[in-house]
Amino acid sequence: MPKDGKVRILVGTRKGAYVVEGDKRRTKWKVGPVSHEGSEVYHVAADPRHPGDVYAAVNSWFFGPTLWRSRNWGKGWKETGTPMTPLQKDRKPESGEPDPGNPVKRVLNNMWRIEPGLASEPNTLYLGADPHVVFRSSDLGKTWDPIDAINNHPAKKDWSPGAGGACLHTILVDPRDARRLYVGLSAVGTFRSDDGGESWKPTNKGVETPFLPNKFPETGQCVHHVAMDAADPDTFYRQDHGGMYVSHNRMDKWVRIGKPLGDDFGFGVASPASAPGRAYFVRLGGMARTTGEGHFQVHEWNDKSRTWKKLLSPTAFPGNFGVQREGITTDTLDPAGIYVGTTTGQLFVSPNAGKSWKLVPFGFPGIHSVNVANPPSD
Amino acid sequence: MLEVHLDSWLRGFGPRSHEKVEADSVEHLLDALDARYPRLRFKLRDESGTLRKYVRVFVDGTDVSGTTGVATSLVGARTIDILHSIAGG
Repeated sequence: MPKDGKVRILVGTRKGAYVVEGDKRRTKWKVGPVSHEGSEVYHVAADPRHPGDVYAAVNSWFFGPTLWRSRNWGKGWKETGTPMTPLQKDRKPESGEPDPGNPVKRVLNNMWRIEPGLASEPNTLYLGADPHVVFRSSDLGKTWDPIDAINNHPAKKDWSPGAGGACLHTILVDPRDARRLYVGLSAVGTFRSDDGGESWKPTNKGVETPFLPNKFPETGQCVHHVAMDAADPDTFYRQDHGGMYVSHNRMDKWVRIGKPLGDDFGFGVASPASAPGRAYFVRLGGMARTTGEGHFQVHEWNDKSRTWKKLLSPTAFPGNFGVQREGITTDTLDPAGIYVGTTTGQLFVSPNAGKSWKLVPFGFPGIHSVNVANPPSD
Repeated sequence: MLEVHLDSWLRGFGPRSHEKVEADSVEHLLDALDARYPRLRFKLRDESGTLRKYVRVFVDGTDVSGTTGVATSLVGARTIDILHSIAGG
């Protein structure tokens, strides 16, 4: 990661992307100029394997989705390969399509998640997008291969979109085994592949669907986001439409942990490298989808003691704030930095695992995503 | 030969403000522009071949985006304007 000692917050907003620079103290920040001005930027991701490489998933109202790369921390953006399928009239059927003589009509809508592969696969990238599709690139995004076993899944005709569309928004790679992959789709649920994407198993056991007649179906869950525990890649923290959950067995079974909080709705969850067994959720009211009780709040889950801790006092930041699925992230420093971007353009930072919080003094457009690139801990 | 006018945003993907193109339909006009400027591909149409929601194509001053769209014949046409509709917020 950065050799210049800087911590960078990569911010995707409704009207462009920003790179916010600070140092390891994480108390003072300099906001760089907007890029992709006017376009929806759903995700901006740094590639830890190639310091300086940053990718932006840009979803223009006018031009559709385009993927961009900067080789210098958000300076000098260039459009790279976007995994569009050929025009329908030129398209050949993909494997798994129900009628090989009549290719499925496919249009790539919004792109939601860019996920670099492991260090052992330095040119691999994953991209999750609407309509419930995931792609893999073996050349850092120049070209993309569809992962057909998800993209043409036999049950796909029964999958429903969430309010944000048919988004495939979560992609996780087991750091011990690049062939073990996890994806999250709204409103379908999570899936695991143990064979590099050749086959997928639904992994939603125990997750309730309060919006369906069958409360515990195999799929149909509206997963909002999932974070992997940095120290234990078999453990996952899940923010679902139906509440907050933990799994200790590669998502084979989920246990609801959010009930003590009352309404445990939300979108974002993050788990920092320096605090294994901890996960940070931004709890929102299920109706308004803003922080309830009139103030900004983040809750810390301690998986060892199985307890919750509310991190902010009610008087710290009054208001009702919305936070989207990519709106919370953590860095890899110790103590962990926690970063939360809101739909009304506030960027909150805690440099000490939630003990204290500051607001970056800049009014961003509504924030879709925050991501952090930081130098190693001392 | 058609006289094609493209707005400033589209020129960011390669074309000049005025292009000369031989085509007998809007579809073939866009095919020709895509071949000439690969970065323009999928910016005006999605993969189904349909015009994107906020792209407007005028044939001799008539907006065909919401009517005959890419199937519009250009036989006898002289001037094509490709613009963005007003949108935002």
